[in-house]
Amino acid sequence: MDLADLYRDVIVDHNKRPRNFGRLEHPNRTAEGHNPLCGDRLHIFLDVEGDLIRDIRFEGRGCAISTASASLMSEAVKGRRVADVQHLFASVHDMLTRHDAPVPAELGKLAALSGVREYPARVKCASLCWHTLNAALADEAAPVTTE
Amino acid sequence: MLTVPGLTIIGTAPEKASLVSFVLDGVHPHDLGTILDAEGVAIRTGHHCAMPVMDFFDVPATARASFAFYNTHAEIDALVRALGIAREMLG
Repeated sequence: MDLADLYRDVIVDHNKRPRNFGRLEHPNRTAEGHNPLCGDRLHIFLDVEGDLIRDIRFEGRGCAISTASASLMSEAVKGRRVADVQHLFASVHDMLTRHDAPVPAELGKLAALSGVREYPARVKCASLCWHTLNAALADEAAPVTTE
Repeated sequence: MLTVPGLTIIGTAPEKASLVSFVLDGVHPHDLGTILDAEGVAIRTGHHCAMPVMDFFDVPATARASFAFYNTHAEIDALVRALGIAREMLG
């Protein structure tokens, strides 16, 4: 296993300069995610109109993988339809957990996270933001936890 | 270890046990754990079942190196080298 495969340039860049970081002033969906084993906390703010995610912001603190994953996710889902985002989540989940699965081209920059599957202990770092996004879309009040 | 720029030792009681909890600016302890592991250095990272203490020190988690009678100076040098690599990579 090569570390450079986990901490690719895209990941390092998104960790240092996370995109869409902060809060939305008037979100209509929010959710909180928590990984108690890591201590990672994440808050997602959405502006959803019909089935369109018009805007997204996130804040919180976590490791490089979780911060970069949330940042990459925010770029990938902004302006997308909810159904497309759910499909994307399924593809990301496969990429993170299935060793033999080829990485579909539709993942774009999210493919930078494919190295995570060689590090089972880090899969939850990368998937926390997606579970939290799902909860926000479902308007769930209870915080999401990976445990 | 204090020769590594950005490294802060958490817990500095004069008569402490032979372990060193620390944080490194810009590098989350879990990333440190993964990078140090790849460099052949095993540490523990996280809350260490002591989450209120993490809140007290206002850190998300810490990295922790534990020492025993069989550890050598060369191994400590390897730890310090690996911390430098982690800093270069993510710090």
